[in-house]
Amino acid sequence: MSRCYDVIVVGAGPAGLTAGACLAEMGVKALVLDEQHQPGGQIYRRVETASPATLKVMGPDYDRGLELAERFHKSGVEYEGGAIVWNVTADGSIAYSRQGKSQEIQGRYIIIATGAMERPFPLPGWTLPGVMGAGAANNLAKEAGLVPAGEVVLAGSGPLLLLEASILLKKGVNITAILETTEKIPSAQTFKYLPAAIRRTDFLLKGLNMLREIKSSGVVYHKGVGEIKAQGDSRLESVEAMVDGKTQTFPADLLLLHFGVIPNTHIFRLAGCAMRWHQEQRYWYPQTDDWGRTNCERIFAAGDGSGVSGALAAEYKGELCALEAARCLGIIPDYERDSLAKPLQEAINHDRWPRPFIDAMYAPKLDGSHFADDTVLCRCENIMVGDVRRAVSEGVREVNEMKIVTRCGMGPCQGRMCGPAVAEVIAAELRQSPERVGLLNIRPPLKPVPLEEVAEMELDEASQVQADLFKNMKK
Amino acid sequence: MFKQQDEQIQQKMVSVTLDGEPRELPAGVSVAAGLFSIGEIISRISPSSGKPCSPHCLMGVCFECLMEIDGIQQQACVVEVQEGLVINRGSLGKKE
Ligand SMILES: Cc1cc2nc3c(=O)[nH]c(=O)nc-3n(C[C@H](O)[C@H](O)[C@H](O)COP(=O)(O)OP(=O)(O)OC[C@H]3O[C@@H](n4cnc5c(N)ncnc54)[C@H](O)[C@@H]3O)c2cc1C
Ligand code: FES
Repeated sequence: MSRCYDVIVVGAGPAGLTAGACLAEMGVKALVLDEQHQPGGQIYRRVETASPATLKVMGPDYDRGLELAERFHKSGVEYEGGAIVWNVTADGSIAYSRQGKSQEIQGRYIIIATGAMERPFPLPGWTLPGVMGAGAANNLAKEAGLVPAGEVVLAGSGPLLLLEASILLKKGVNITAILETTEKIPSAQTFKYLPAAIRRTDFLLKGLNMLREIKSSGVVYHKGVGEIKAQGDSRLESVEAMVDGKTQTFPADLLLLHFGVIPNTHIFRLAGCAMRWHQEQRYWYPQTDDWGRTNCERIFAAGDGSGVSGALAAEYKGELCALEAARCLGIIPDYERDSLAKPLQEAINHDRWPRPFIDAMYAPKLDGSHFADDTVLCRCENIMVGDVRRAVSEGVREVNEMKIVTRCGMGPCQGRMCGPAVAEVIAAELRQSPERVGLLNIRPPLKPVPLEEVAEMELDEASQVQADLFKNMKK
Repeated sequence: MFKQQDEQIQQKMVSVTLDGEPRELPAGVSVAAGLFSIGEIISRISPSSGKPCSPHCLMGVCFECLMEIDGIQQQACVVEVQEGLVINRGSLGKKE
């Protein structure tokens, strides 16, 4: 017999921590799983064991994680770290691997709070050692106190790029250039959202302060940059970019890329949740109702995985899912759910004021026709942008078909890194919206699990492990 | 490419075997972070392009950090460093 829970929460970032704590506080039997070894998610990664120096550089926004973690532990909710979830089904079963053993468990409801990831953006040389995500460098700092040594270039766009730049400057890192692809002068469209944003001057001032710090540091900082290339033989040596109409080269040991964040949707797609396309932000997110319930009755989506809206909104959304799950379980009546939800909904609205302005300011300028033919698109299978274009010219119209024809998206990452860009390239060739060219189908296991581990697994009698379980690992 | 700057972190070093050689890594951080901290930035040779890779996302999505850890292909950014781990980066180790 497999273990059963009222609610299983996947992910222990702000959304999952809040959902788990809220459920346990109401007396619901809940379990929180996360592949990381400590609670916190991306933003509050390892906050509980952070040194005073790390807490100081990361600032008060990071401290918030300590309060969340405290509430989480106090609630007594069951938690397993180092738990890699590799299958989720719409009927509420979850398979996960922990300490070399896989097991299948059941939840009457499942809250998926797997967060967001940095938008993968193929550019020449992005597979060179020495090129990584800006958020990745941020993770290394939180996790192991590591700071970039040598010359660093930051490139891309979005608030997190500037946040990372300001953190690195505080640490005395040698930044050779910040290359922002965002236009020098925001579009008229952007200013349309300014009045709403001004309702949150606290938020805007925080951003302006960050920009002031960067500018006053005297670091080379260009906007409206294009044609970024990572150069080097077997590792990164320099970064080339088009600045003010001229090609410039910047020496670099490390290039930190950031092009915004997008929901991490593999689990939703695996479970068969209906997905929606966000035209302005150009990403897919699971369709949900006001409580976060997906079209699969038992599955909820909380936090940035349900649509990127930041860490505070993630908390509130996590709690809303928990309240609705508790109501469905008969723990609280409708009116109690509604009265507890009211302040959360107000908080979400308050938090949302500046978002359209920021989103418009840093809207992804994505055009699949801008990617160069000889740029690697699929890192796992080494498929070039040109390979995908050729397949389109030969009649391929959809991403799953593209995968069969070119192997693009067939490697171990299951299209996490190439999926969004492949769709942009196909869509640009066909002069369509990426919405029209499909989404890669996802199959278990989501993460590599050894065959022997699955063979030794205690299976639920009712469960049916599909025959193609290892499709993505045969290689 | 990275250095340990935070003096307040007192890391306990543990012994592991990296590509057949005894090495010391800081305990309790991810294997990917541990390898960065000792200057090992290459995670593997890509089986498709034959070129060296290094971890790109450090959060479990890019799979560039796949390596054999205790006999199993795993994401080095998800596995924690523990005493006695046997880490093999495949053809990379043999070449060196
Ligand atoms: C690399 C990175 C760094 C960031 N840094 C900052 C920052 O410094 N400041 C800021 O304001 N915002 C930051 N953000 C944005 C921030 O992540 C979000 O606003 C916030 O963390 C969202 O919270 P969440 O609870 O929705 O998800 P997350 O905090 O992302 O938590 C999701 C959790 O799910 C777990 N998970 C995912 N898949 C699985 C699986 N298959 N099995 C088990 N567990 C799984 C992950 O390990 C993770 O702990 C960052 C984003 C990224 C991608
Ligand atoms: S570094 Fe991307 S999965 Fe490990």
